[in-house]
Formats: sequence, structure tokens, C-alpha cells
Amino acid sequence: MQKIELINTLPAVFAGADVHSEVWHCHVTLERGRRYLVTAESGTGKSSMCSYIYGHRRDYSGTIAFDGADVRGLTIEQWCEVRRRHIAYLPQEMRLFAELTVLENIALKNSLTGHKTRPEVEQMLDMLGIADKANSLVGKLSIGQQQRVAVVRTLCQPCDFFLLDEPVSHLDEHNNRMVAQLVMEEAQRQGAGIIATSVGNHLAMDVDHILKL
Amino acid sequence: MWRLLSKHISKVQLAGFALANLVGLAIVILAVQFYLDVRPVFNDEESFISKDYLVITRSVTTAGAMLGDSNSFSDADIAALEQQSWCRSVGRFENSDFGISATLGLGSGGRSMRSQFFFESIPDEFIDVDGAAWDFDPAHPVVPVIVSRDYLSLYNLGFATTRGMPQISEGQAGMIPIQFTFDGAGRHETMQGRIVGFSTRLNTVIVPLTFMRWANERYGSGQPSAPVRLIVEVSKPGDMAIEQYMDEHHYDVAGDKMAASKANYFLVVIIGIVITVGIIISALAFFVLMLSIYLLLQKNARKLHDLLLLGFSPAEVSRPYEVLVVAVNVVVLVLAIVLMLVARSFYMDMVHAFGVSGSSVLAAVAAGFVLMAIITVGNIIAIRRRVAALW
Repeated sequence: MQKIELINTLPAVFAGADVHSEVWHCHVTLERGRRYLVTAESGTGKSSMCSYIYGHRRDYSGTIAFDGADVRGLTIEQWCEVRRRHIAYLPQEMRLFAELTVLENIALKNSLTGHKTRPEVEQMLDMLGIADKANSLVGKLSIGQQQRVAVVRTLCQPCDFFLLDEPVSHLDEHNNRMVAQLVMEEAQRQGAGIIATSVGNHLAMDVDHILKL
Repeated sequence: MWRLLSKHISKVQLAGFALANLVGLAIVILAVQFYLDVRPVFNDEESFISKDYLVITRSVTTAGAMLGDSNSFSDADIAALEQQSWCRSVGRFENSDFGISATLGLGSGGRSMRSQFFFESIPDEFIDVDGAAWDFDPAHPVVPVIVSRDYLSLYNLGFATTRGMPQISEGQAGMIPIQFTFDGAGRHETMQGRIVGFSTRLNTVIVPLTFMRWANERYGSGQPSAPVRLIVEVSKPGDMAIEQYMDEHHYDVAGDKMAASKANYFLVVIIGIVITVGIIISALAFFVLMLSIYLLLQKNARKLHDLLLLGFSPAEVSRPYEVLVVAVNVVVLVLAIVLMLVARSFYMDMVHAFGVSGSSVLAAVAAGFVLMAIITVGNIIAIRRRVAALW
């Protein structure tokens, strides 16, 4: 997948409203290999945008296209393929399984993609300072620790785009830098693009474009 | 993933389903097996004429006899009979139209028994005997006969014991030298005869139709006579319509055919009811499992949705539940078959007492498989649809 386009896209709830945005009601092209920061105030539809691109919500008007093809035409099988091979998504609410351990949560994604080896996973956990939590239940971790687990899980797949919804909202500056480093390294290795959203605490990386939602 | 999705499985609900379905399935396959095992008791397949055949005569009334009414069947009577929905075919008994006497040689002492005799014939398709022995060739005249088993009993029990004659078995009867003497049309001829079988149901002496036609032409008056007895092959033994028809036309059905047929008919009805009850229980069990799974899917909806977000396909997410359902159903099927075999061992003694060996269990097991396959496929379709709805 080389590019993601949002053409005249608008969340259904904003229909008829006076929207001033560099994304909604515009033609935005997100290209593979480039880095984007989508800044927004709370309630402007940042997570909605991620959900639309990732295909689990369809309550919008306009068009979202992968390489020129409208995503509304994708079959369930094609969406599964997108989620396994093309877009690595980190939801704001993380969506980890509290009753599984850190390693089990990561293994679930990795079992689909076979992208990372166990030592590589452990190395990433180590970099983010949670190696000692590898066998702890995710439900027992702090929000900040959970966010780092979710980042590692997101990195466990080949992709064309990283779609990160407030990836460092609960992290300190040090961990923010470590996450940014990991994501950038992985993106570089794969030639992938990065789309990160933020309401204030930006992912510590240089970006090609800043889009104000 | 299994660890994740098995979280809310209710063992009680699952056990409830398994038990209910086990009961339903066991009832169904036991009923099928019982029917197959017991049917031969009502349907004496060892007799030459199976239960699907009725032998009928006209009722002889005193008034009718005095007025000289014919008790034979006309072509119109037969045509009317053939048009009944339960009638498959009608065979006419043909009678001998000449004098017959038989001499039976018994033992080596030269003792013999001589008696007036009569013959009847029915078309071959109504007789279940070996074709090779059941034939007549004028060039080598030996007359094969099928005799009512009652005659043998009558001789053995009533005659032989009181007169000091040897008793004879069915096997020996075939070896008894019989001489038939035929009188008629100015001829007086003697021929060898041989008993080739005994019939429980046909209360007469049967000879091949080929012989009857040949002999009637040779010794008879040449006048074709209307049949006084008919053999009817019926498609639905025990059907009330048959009895009604027979009553309306004053036809008598020989022996206990109608009674046996009725018993068989009620057996079918009762087994049908039992199978229906079993299927209803199975269907209810099916819905219990469905509700249980829906509840489980509902409780796990968030997790299932998150798995789909990770990139698992609906089919992959459904699989643990499908495996669960298949595993439970296979266990239930195996237990139901075991239960059926155990129950069968209890009633088989009774069935053996009737001289019936019982049938193979394959049909009942196959019925269990089919029912279980339907239930399992239904479960899997429901699970898939439910998970797909989460997409």
C-alpha cells in the first residue's frame, strides 16, 4: 500500500456543522515512508479518523481510499489482510487483554504475523523498561506500562503505515523518546509511513507534515 | 486465544445441553434400533408369504349358500381390488379341476396312507421358494408341492402318535415318496410328487402354476373356473382402509394376517411417536446450547471485537467455539450410542425368545450421526453468523 487518501471525508456527527480542519472536508494524501502528526483538540474526531482508516467504523461521508481504491469495497478477508500486513494500529484505548500476560498479549498478534522472534520482543520490552513485567497480567500493570506493551504489540507486524492514536499520552519524556526511537527504527526498516495523533503530548520524532484536525 | 475465550464458558450450561441432547439422541437411536430389532417378530420373514400379502375369500353365508350364490371372484371384483391405493398386485388361486388322490409311503414296512387330495396354484411371484425346485416338466413328471405347516403338525401330533406311525420332520418330509393319482377326462395316471416346502401362512396345498395349467388341460373339464381365493400384495399392511374395504365387500382375510399387520402398524406409530419425542428433546437441547453460546459470545463480545481488530478473521475467532461444540457433540454421540447398546442388551433376550436374531446396529448409529451432524452444522452456522455480526 503506497498511499491513503481522505477525500472530502467527514464524520457523520459533524454533518452540517461548520468545520475548520486540514483533514475533514479536504483531500489529504498520506504517503508510505513519510511521517505525519495529526494534532487535535479533544472531541474533534481524531480517534474516529483512525477507526475509519482501520475499517472498524463507517459512520462518515466522503471517501477513504487505499492506493485509489475506496475502502468501502473491501471484503472482510481484505480487511484482515490490511490489519495483518499493511496498517499497524495502536488504538488510544490500547485494547489489551487484561487477563493475559504481557507476553501472551504480544504473542497473539505475533502468532498472526510471525514478524518478531521472542528475543526481539524481549529486547523491545527491555528498551521500554518493562522486561520484568513480561509474565505479569496486563490487568495488573499501570496505564503507562500498558501503553508500552501496546506499542510493542503494534510493532509486531509488517506494515506500510503505523497508525498510532495518542501513542505516548501516558508516558514520560524518557519513555516517549524510547517509543519514538523504536517506532522510527521499525518504520525505516520497512519503509513504512507513520501517522501519529496527539492532543498535546506529541511523539518525540521529526515529522514531514503536521495536520491540524 | 482459547485461554482468552474460554473465560466465560459455563460448565453447568454445557453439561445441561450435553445431558439433554444425550437423552434426546439416545431415545431416537434406541427407538430406531428397537424398531429394527423387533419388526421381524411381527413380520414373519421365514414364511414363504410375508406379511405384505393377504389371502382373501368371500364370506360364505348360509342364505347365500342356499340360494346358490357363487363365492368366486369375478373379473370386476379383481379389477376393483387392483384399483385400491393400498393394493400392489392381486394373484388368483387356480384350483384343480379333476380328481386327485395321494399315496404316502411311510417307513420301510410298506405302510402307506392314501387320501383324496386337492391342489391350488398361485403365480410364482407370490411364492418365495427356490426357482430350481419349483418347476414342472411333463417330460420328467415330478410334482413339487408346498404344504401348509398345519398339515404336518396335524399328522405328527394327531395321527402318528395315536396310530404308532413315525413322526416326521420338515427335512424328512421332502424325502417321503408321494404318488399322486389323477382321474379325469377319461385318464387315470400316476405321478411322483415331492414336498419342497412348508408354509405357515398358506393353508392349502400349492403346486406350480405350470403344472396346474398343464394338468387342468389334460385331466380337467376344460371349463375355466373363476377363482375363489385371491392373494393380495398390500403396500400398507395394517391400513384401516384395507379392513374397511374387506368388511364392505364381505371378504374374509385368512389367518391372523390383519391382526399381525395391525400390531405392526401400531408398532410403527408408537416408534414414530417415540422418535418424535426424542427429536423434540434434541431440538430443545440444541436451543439450550445455542442460548448458552450466544450468552458466551455476548460476554466475550468486546474480546472478540478486539481480536478482529488485531487482524483475526471471523472464522478464526469462531473456531475455538466450533471446536468446543464439535467436541461436546462427539462425546454426546458416543455416549448415546453406548447407552443405546446397553439398553439393547436388556431387551434383546426378549427378542431372542421370539426366535428373532435382531438386526445390525449400523442403521441406528447412522441415524445418530445424521442427527448429530445436523445439530453440529446448525450450531456452527449460528456461531459464525453471531461472530460475523460483530464485524
